[in-house]
Amino acid sequence: MKSGNSALQSIGMTGIMIVASILMLAPFFLMLTTSLKSSAELKSIGFSVLPRETTISNYLVAMQRGNWVRYFYNSFVITTVTVLVSLVINSMAGYAFARLRFPGRQALFVSSLIGLMIPPQTTMIPVFIMLRHFPLAGGNDLLGSGGIGLINSYTGLMIPFIAGSFGVFLFRQYYLNFPHSLDDAAEIDGVGKLRCFLWIYVPLSKPAFATLGALKATQTWNEYIWPLIMTTTSDMRTVQLALALFRDEHEIEWNYLMSATTIITIPLVVLFLFAQRFFVEGIVTTGIKG
Amino acid sequence: MRNIHPIAYVLILPFYMFLFFFILVPIGMNIFLSFTNYDLIQWDFVGWKNYRYLFQDSHFHISLRNTSLYAFFTVGFSMVLGLGAALLLKGNPPGIKIYRISFYIPYIASMVAVSMIWLWIYDPMDGIANKILNLFGIPSKQWLYDSQYALSCIIVMSVWKVLGYNMIVFLTGLQAIPPYLYEAATIDGANSIQKFLKITLPMLQPITFFLFVTGVINSFKVFEQVAILTAGGPSNATTTVVHQIYNRAFNEFAMGYAAAMSIALLLVIAFITLFNYRYGNQGADLEIG
Repeated sequence: MKSGNSALQSIGMTGIMIVASILMLAPFFLMLTTSLKSSAELKSIGFSVLPRETTISNYLVAMQRGNWVRYFYNSFVITTVTVLVSLVINSMAGYAFARLRFPGRQALFVSSLIGLMIPPQTTMIPVFIMLRHFPLAGGNDLLGSGGIGLINSYTGLMIPFIAGSFGVFLFRQYYLNFPHSLDDAAEIDGVGKLRCFLWIYVPLSKPAFATLGALKATQTWNEYIWPLIMTTTSDMRTVQLALALFRDEHEIEWNYLMSATTIITIPLVVLFLFAQRFFVEGIVTTGIKG
Repeated sequence: MRNIHPIAYVLILPFYMFLFFFILVPIGMNIFLSFTNYDLIQWDFVGWKNYRYLFQDSHFHISLRNTSLYAFFTVGFSMVLGLGAALLLKGNPPGIKIYRISFYIPYIASMVAVSMIWLWIYDPMDGIANKILNLFGIPSKQWLYDSQYALSCIIVMSVWKVLGYNMIVFLTGLQAIPPYLYEAATIDGANSIQKFLKITLPMLQPITFFLFVTGVINSFKVFEQVAILTAGGPSNATTTVVHQIYNRAFNEFAMGYAAAMSIALLLVIAFITLFNYRYGNQGADLEIG
């Protein structure tokens, strides 16, 4: 009787999860089907979930509204450089905080904690003003006036995302778990601390690099408010910003909008499917170790 | 002296420079700006005027109310549903990978993209929400254009988006509970409800608390879905604190006043963070990861 009960229970649970999963994915499914419908079908009265006549030309039309090659290039450059630079500087600092001794370590580390607590939305105004008055950039003089500074530049679009403290904590946490015998062995062999980091720690921390990389890539690729503030010309738009501009059209043509939405969502979803473990580790770390 | 490693300063310097110039200095500058009337061209000290205006600005009050409602319902629903889903997946049922992917994809997709999808779902003419209602003979609603429903629409979408995050964190917590606790309870004759109340919930307490606090903090930053779905409307029914900051600073160029709002937001978030820091480590000290 007991086993019959639990079999029934597990069927019930499976049923609930299948329905729930379908509900979770339904919006994306509808996005895809709408992106394949012709304009004529959308204007007609009846409604069917699947397109009556599948057309992929919507994608071509959508991509011709604005310079999408350029937007993808911008997002790609910003994401790649942000990820690479933050991986390098965060792993270096994480190693130093975890393994090296130096005066002021505690104070420097505690002040980095602030970086975890400050949401970028609360500092976007001063950062914007600082970048606008960045000396000798974008037509500015030495005192930072006269031009637009780093507004509307790749550097300006990337800088706030490189600053994040989270990566330092991730690497520090990761390196704290390394056995001290590694350092002792390196010291006996006369390997300096810098080489010890480069030759021993870095090759052993691929999972940490992948986890932070996945997290940073998602954040940067998906960012909206900062490019919205920092971009003044259409050739500096990111994909998110370009997609948001579809909203301003007088009459939204859903098939084109959904085509563009599909295209900017695909790179991340593909990355996620291939590197799922690291995405999940990233959120478990952010969620629990903070 | 051989114990000191000067190379550490070189390794920390790049990170710390970014932290210093783009987080620490801006906080100070924000405080300074909040006492001025800077408009990107000129500035004067105005004392506490910006802060006093916060108490009179009805848009700011509405945005606080909306943000709090949003935080309360989004966090509440996404945590309860996330825990429910995690409990169903606890025993590693077949297909768990597919379930996890389906729940997690909304979380990694960009807020702009998912807002566009839900913009269509909620569209009064073409959206599927009304088509489903009509199937049951219920008349169409104006959803995002109706101040009665607009905020709820945004909350529903946001719950859908962050549910997978809560589920995965809860699932990790559930899997870290030692099985012998349940075995011992079974021997003592406990039923599943007793086990849930006496073992599962207390063991999950630190994670629950953490998800709650980070969820509330994230909710206080809500902007993108509002900017895209409703632009704060209809008649400010969905405006949020960050949406007000953005409008004041970058549409009206009232940088000083927007800086004062940012400081107010920062204080709220700092309070929640400190609360978390003070009480977050209570309960079972689970080591996960």
